[in-house]
Amino acid sequence: MPKLKRSFSALNRRDLLFALLLIAPALTVLLLLSIYPLFYSITISLQTETAGGFKWGLTNFTRLISDPFFRTAMAHTFVYAAAALVFEFSIGLTLALLLNSQIRGRTFFRAALLVPMMLPAVVVGVVWRLMLNPNFGAINGTLKEIGLNTESLTWTASPRLALLSVIAVDVWQWTPFVFLVLLAGLQAIPQEPYEAALIDGSSRWQTFRYVTLPLLKPAILIALLLRTMDLLRVFDQIFILTEGGPGFATETISLYIYRTAFRFFDFGYAAAMSFVLLALTNVISTIYIRFLQTKQASV
Amino acid sequence: MPTNNLTRAAIASLAIVLMLCACRSDRHSASKQLTLAVNSGVEGDALKQAALDYEKKTGIHINIAEFPYANLFEKELLDLNAATGAYDLIMLDDPWFPRFATKQFLTDLAPLMQKRGQTGPDADFIPTSIALCRHPYQTGALYALPYVGNSQLFFYRKDLFDKHNLKEPLKWDDVLAAAKTIQENESSGGKTYGYVMRAAQGNAAVADFMPIFWAFGGEMFDSSGKPAVNSQQGIAALKFTLELGKYSPPGYPSFNADEVGAHLLQGSAAMSINWPAWISSFSDPSKSKVIGKMAFTTLPGATRQGQAEIGNWLIAIPKDATNPEAAMDFLLWATSPEQMKLSAQRGNPPTRRSLFTDAELVAKFPSYPAQLKSLETARPRPRTPQWNEIENVFGIFLSKANSGELTPEDAINQANAEIEKIVQRAQ
Repeated sequence: MPKLKRSFSALNRRDLLFALLLIAPALTVLLLLSIYPLFYSITISLQTETAGGFKWGLTNFTRLISDPFFRTAMAHTFVYAAAALVFEFSIGLTLALLLNSQIRGRTFFRAALLVPMMLPAVVVGVVWRLMLNPNFGAINGTLKEIGLNTESLTWTASPRLALLSVIAVDVWQWTPFVFLVLLAGLQAIPQEPYEAALIDGSSRWQTFRYVTLPLLKPAILIALLLRTMDLLRVFDQIFILTEGGPGFATETISLYIYRTAFRFFDFGYAAAMSFVLLALTNVISTIYIRFLQTKQASV
Repeated sequence: MPTNNLTRAAIASLAIVLMLCACRSDRHSASKQLTLAVNSGVEGDALKQAALDYEKKTGIHINIAEFPYANLFEKELLDLNAATGAYDLIMLDDPWFPRFATKQFLTDLAPLMQKRGQTGPDADFIPTSIALCRHPYQTGALYALPYVGNSQLFFYRKDLFDKHNLKEPLKWDDVLAAAKTIQENESSGGKTYGYVMRAAQGNAAVADFMPIFWAFGGEMFDSSGKPAVNSQQGIAALKFTLELGKYSPPGYPSFNADEVGAHLLQGSAAMSINWPAWISSFSDPSKSKVIGKMAFTTLPGATRQGQAEIGNWLIAIPKDATNPEAAMDFLLWATSPEQMKLSAQRGNPPTRRSLFTDAELVAKFPSYPAQLKSLETARPRPRTPQWNEIENVFGIFLSKANSGELTPEDAINQANAEIEKIVQRAQ
């Protein structure tokens, strides 16, 4: 510690000034574009517009509690995020394990798998909207070809299937991301632990459970964390696919916030909702990090 | 509180979307420039073309800021709210107008007209279109001029009607009966659905429901301004809509304009409510399987005369425009009969009676007589600054009824309750 202190004081004023000068642009941008708006949005979340001007108070937050649309949109967001995450993770992990081993044509599969992720979400939305069209779409067309009755399969038009449809699209598009991160994680694992496991005579399952999985944990954490944050703020595909319909069945919180801010021009309420979402995302991320890190330490 | 508003809007836009700011052209200095915010699409294209012609004629440079429909409203509202003076003229879809006018964002056109010796808008403009440009509706001051005169029409397959001995539907009951007859008896060339409806949550569901709602005697607000969609008439209208839905292709609760258009063009549906912009595609061999088979008429009635929903594009001058005089010159020029005729030839329905009856245009657009009749009797969506929010909520519950999630009574009662909340919040 004292050593460090000395080296700090050894920095002369000019060096310090120079350092400050160097970080100043970044700091200014951060202040202007992130920190100031963040604090400003706190103030607008505390204001409501009435016929007589702006009123201060917690009206926006109390309205949240009694707003059935907000609750439903929140519930949809969490169902969407949880379901998509489970599928993306399990399929992504399976694919990563498969393509990490020496199978034929794995370079081709690896490249092919990444395509959905490279498409803009809007394009994905439009393409799937066409494919899911009950009358002209490729999906029902194929099902009809193999002799299934598609009369009740109206996908995005059905209150029961709509959420499932948008989740399926997300899984299609973002499983490759999970796959990519996990594959990178797998390839970073050294050979030695596997050799040791082999010598100890562990089964394939034991090797996976006690060698691969613990060593893959950092990659798992990154994949899950990034996907969760993305899923909780999902907007584009759903906006294109269903616009939140039918009858609010696929409205997520981002769509509702967007509508409130830019369609109804109620920035205060939109800001209040954004803060609740931010808080929840933070809580979930913290839980993830704690959970995966302590487990890692105990292994 | 304009300054408060200014920062609110500016910051919120930054914080929430970080909208790229590349579209702002450099601030114009003197009178030799105008900046126009237009919709990207056929309506905006006509105005862009007009701007080029105007530039050639007068030497005044016109900057065009073009936005897709979904972003135009928010872009304009943010800029006008922030009083940036970025635009001298803006295109507005008429349901947005009450919001802009109530906020006093627009320039009163009367003084500018008086300076030119005009007492008011040209009498040639269709009264229902001019009424949209006044705040309060129909009676107030003039804040815009109508540029594109859309109103809904009833589309139907003339060939199938003739084949099954059906007459042009005057009442919604005729429509239902015809839908049944056609769907049950028409088998040539795959399944033909009797009717096709837009019922996707939001604008689509509401736009297709309003003409039925009005025909059945429904009113969104009673005389004291209280929401009244859950009247007996309102419930009857929704029940009727669901009956009609039985003859609409499966999945219609997610349909928007594209799906409805596709069904009509493919010949897989026989009737619908639609907007004039679709008419030209029916005679396009690369898109249409029903060339020469479609007919267009005014909307059917029920207990009341049928009325279409009006949907006009207006042009207004923002209050903070840097050069209102020059903007007014362009506005009057662009909406003059000669210029509007060019716009009509480019595919936009005019807002002037003389053009709807212009022989050359009628020859090119045979549906003009029906369009004129529809437009002259058309009704606007309720004139309230909260329309976006009300339409959204109403659309959600209509969509819930159409997809079978709620009964018509529950849907319309819940819609009414939510609309009431919106109205109360605004007070």
